[in-house]
Amino acid sequence: MKKSSIFGLIVIAIAIATIITTYSSSSTYGSFSDAKKTTDELHIVGHLDKSKELYYDATKDANYFSFFIKDNKGEECKVIFTGTKPQDFEKSEQIVLTGRMNGKEFHASTILMKCPSKYTQDKVEVTEAKAKTAQL
Amino acid sequence: MDTVYKGEHLLPGHLGQIFVILSFGAALLSTISYYFATTNTNKLDNSWLRMGRIAFYLNSLSILGVGVMLFYVIYNHYFEYHYAWAYTSRSLPVYYIVSGFWNGQEGGFLLWTFWQAVLGNILIWRSKSWEKPVMTVVSFSQLFLASMLLGIEVFGARIGSSPFLLLRNAVEGPIFSRADYLSFIKDGQGMNPLLQNYWMVIHPPTLFLGLASVVVPFAYAVAGLWQKRYKDWIVPALSYGLFAAMILGIGVIMGSLWAYESLNFGGFWAWDAVENASIFPWLTLVGGLHVMIVYKNTGHSYFTATLLVLLSFIMVLYSSFLARSGILGDTSVHSFTDLGMFWQLVSYILAFLFISAWLLIVRWKELPITKKDEETYSREFWMFVGAVFLGLSCFHLVLVTSIPVWNAMFGTKVAPPTDLVGHYNVIQSSFAMVIVILMGLSQFLKYKKTDATRFFISTALYMLCAALITTLVAYVSGLYKLHFVFIMVMFGSIYSVLANGKVLSDALKGKFKLAGSAVAHIGFALMLIGALIAAGTRKVVSNNESGTIAVKGFDRGTADAKVGGDVHENIMMYKNEPVKMGPYTATYIGDSVSAPNFYYKVDYKRYDKNGKIAEEFILKPNAQINPQMGLVSSPDTKHYLFHDLYTHITAVPQPVANSANADGGAAHGEENDDKNYEEPVPHEVAVGDTIPYRDGYIILKSLNKEAQVQNIPLTGNDIAIGAKLEVVTHNKTYQAEPVYMIKNKSVLDFSRKVEDAGLKLRLSKIIPDKNKVEIIVYQQPVNKKPYIVMRALDFPYINFLWSGTVIMIIGFLMSISRRSKEYKAV
Repeated sequence: MKKSSIFGLIVIAIAIATIITTYSSSSTYGSFSDAKKTTDELHIVGHLDKSKELYYDATKDANYFSFFIKDNKGEECKVIFTGTKPQDFEKSEQIVLTGRMNGKEFHASTILMKCPSKYTQDKVEVTEAKAKTAQL
Repeated sequence: MDTVYKGEHLLPGHLGQIFVILSFGAALLSTISYYFATTNTNKLDNSWLRMGRIAFYLNSLSILGVGVMLFYVIYNHYFEYHYAWAYTSRSLPVYYIVSGFWNGQEGGFLLWTFWQAVLGNILIWRSKSWEKPVMTVVSFSQLFLASMLLGIEVFGARIGSSPFLLLRNAVEGPIFSRADYLSFIKDGQGMNPLLQNYWMVIHPPTLFLGLASVVVPFAYAVAGLWQKRYKDWIVPALSYGLFAAMILGIGVIMGSLWAYESLNFGGFWAWDAVENASIFPWLTLVGGLHVMIVYKNTGHSYFTATLLVLLSFIMVLYSSFLARSGILGDTSVHSFTDLGMFWQLVSYILAFLFISAWLLIVRWKELPITKKDEETYSREFWMFVGAVFLGLSCFHLVLVTSIPVWNAMFGTKVAPPTDLVGHYNVIQSSFAMVIVILMGLSQFLKYKKTDATRFFISTALYMLCAALITTLVAYVSGLYKLHFVFIMVMFGSIYSVLANGKVLSDALKGKFKLAGSAVAHIGFALMLIGALIAAGTRKVVSNNESGTIAVKGFDRGTADAKVGGDVHENIMMYKNEPVKMGPYTATYIGDSVSAPNFYYKVDYKRYDKNGKIAEEFILKPNAQINPQMGLVSSPDTKHYLFHDLYTHITAVPQPVANSANADGGAAHGEENDDKNYEEPVPHEVAVGDTIPYRDGYIILKSLNKEAQVQNIPLTGNDIAIGAKLEVVTHNKTYQAEPVYMIKNKSVLDFSRKVEDAGLKLRLSKIIPDKNKVEIIVYQQPVNKKPYIVMRALDFPYINFLWSGTVIMIIGFLMSISRRSKEYKAV
């Protein structure tokens, strides 16, 4: 067999190994009920429950932030994040959390959020424009 | 009925739109003309060529026209145009107006098509016999880019997005039913504060030049296949390819330097999807360049060279699709909104993918693929292996970054790995390890055939040296605590520096033209060394609870932390209260405001063993309290030769409206203000007495019988007494003089605040029989005191990363000069 064919096979093997590694370390988008069943970390997509308290008091603990999230199935859970409150958190439209359940609370290691002000700028400004007309 | 709007400036928009359409038409004409010029068998007929050129010039001129019109609109603040309104404002300084130019997606395309036009003109001027086929490809690419700016509707589908779209057509709102709506739009939205940075002025043009220039080697590769000039295209494409790789590399590194210097990403590389996308083409192009050299020198690896070069441009298009289609919405902080160009971007990729694949298939049997195997002890074989590994590294990045794409394609719901950074670091390091070792190894090999014994002896010698140095470095830097693969990358990089150092020293003695690659390799290896140590052994300094954190893998060790997440990286600092932080004693000493930025001054002191101050400096991480974006913080970094101390603000108290005028004189609204304090405590004191309070003590120094209060003149019987107080708290001393006054028989007192100490002091009574006075102390409760929450990181040896970059660029420049000399010689 030619050496380059052997090398070609090795490359294909590495490529397949990469795919398998990636697939096995990839996680899933789940819900809180999925999170309760597993000890693995997973991603949860949900929305902030604005009617419940967002707790962050830097004077008590600068690394403790808690809030309530409703996942896409409508289940709600308290989330604790060891860090500061991300800016504009209240305005977020959608939140992607990474983490795992700890008792009845979900401990998040990362928070990724989508804010309307960052993504659909137009909406925000137009309400302001309206306010200006109202003053007349 | 159509409304007649007042005050709009429609002319520049109309002109601009004409130029947009003209650029599209000209690109189309140029593509067709160059195509027929290429396929024309009549050698004497130059009419197609002439037409192709004229059309391309016209395309270039209309792109300039679009640019001038857009600038005119932005510079004059014509907010009736959506682009000007969305990305600029009156308050922006001129140089940010320039960068507002490419703030939006349309501007990005404009910049890209501009650079591609510049390159096209250079090719018309220089490429001689290659002009016709190469320019066919470049014009075709121009055609796609021009279509992105069209913004016209065809059969109900909108094609492209015009930068000259009017605000009233872009945004819905009742306001636009008024003819004089413009008089209410006083200002634009301005620029995202994160982008108000000098990097925004220089990073995008560089990156887009890099992306645009990948088209040139691609066009040569296509032309080579098309015209069956399989061997000839390599030489001219090499210098353009090196140029593209250099500029693209600079652009990417600028981005990471920007992230490091002024964005709060917490470092220089976050494996963000858009960051990844920007290096796809770089990896394949660098791989491609190496096999092109192999083919040029030995005739081997033709197919791999062509494939990698073709892939590089496909990767440019793919990465632009990832960044612009909105598909990364859930995984990237960068992602732009979808401008409705999803399928347009896809068709751009598919068109060029189809051309590449079709040409390869049609020409497959003719391709100069050698039947003979490469020698194992030959440089070309191992360069080939290295290039393939660069391709594999790109493959892995594409695979993981594209997870949202796979989900969209197959309807799956796969999420990226939870410890994404760790995943990338380990796997990419495995590829990097092979690549850097080969980078050193191949230096001891010759093309075609090498004497095996000599090779093994010198390799073993250098490897031994590298192993010794690696042990030392790993021990000193703490790298040994990390995953094994990182140590192997370190070993490979050091080995590569040594091996290429030898080539360099030989080159300096004579074969100077070989120096370029050695310099570039050394630079690349140094970059890896810097990145490894800085990212791998970075320490969280603002973590005064446990001192250090256990570093498992890179980054924050999220996987095994018990509390499902982060270690406690943020530290709370009250104003003027020193906090011990790693080797430093840090104190938040105050703010300075330079609107719209708040600079939080943090004083760092480092004491030596004897308790003396060894070092003192002030860092000013800043934050913009932006009405739209909330707090946007930028780090400040203290640079040392061997490490950097990086700090940024992660939280501040909610800004209190009108936080009382500093010298608050009169009694108005006093009761309201008292709410900001704890229960007042009265003290009866004589001169010289001390009042203790929670954070320090207050001394009554003396009583001033001639106290003055601004704007209140005293007459005959009026009395004003001031208590000269000295407040000592946290090793700082402040003065305050509250005043007690009897005016027209009524009693007034004027409190004084010591903002920094969170105190308000009143002189409320004079008790002559006891020779005492009553001082009331108002103390701010802890949570009302000014504070900041901050995160500080220490990046050791990061200067290797930056200096490696500079060295690599020098190496690229040397190689470009060598290859372009060869090109002229042909």
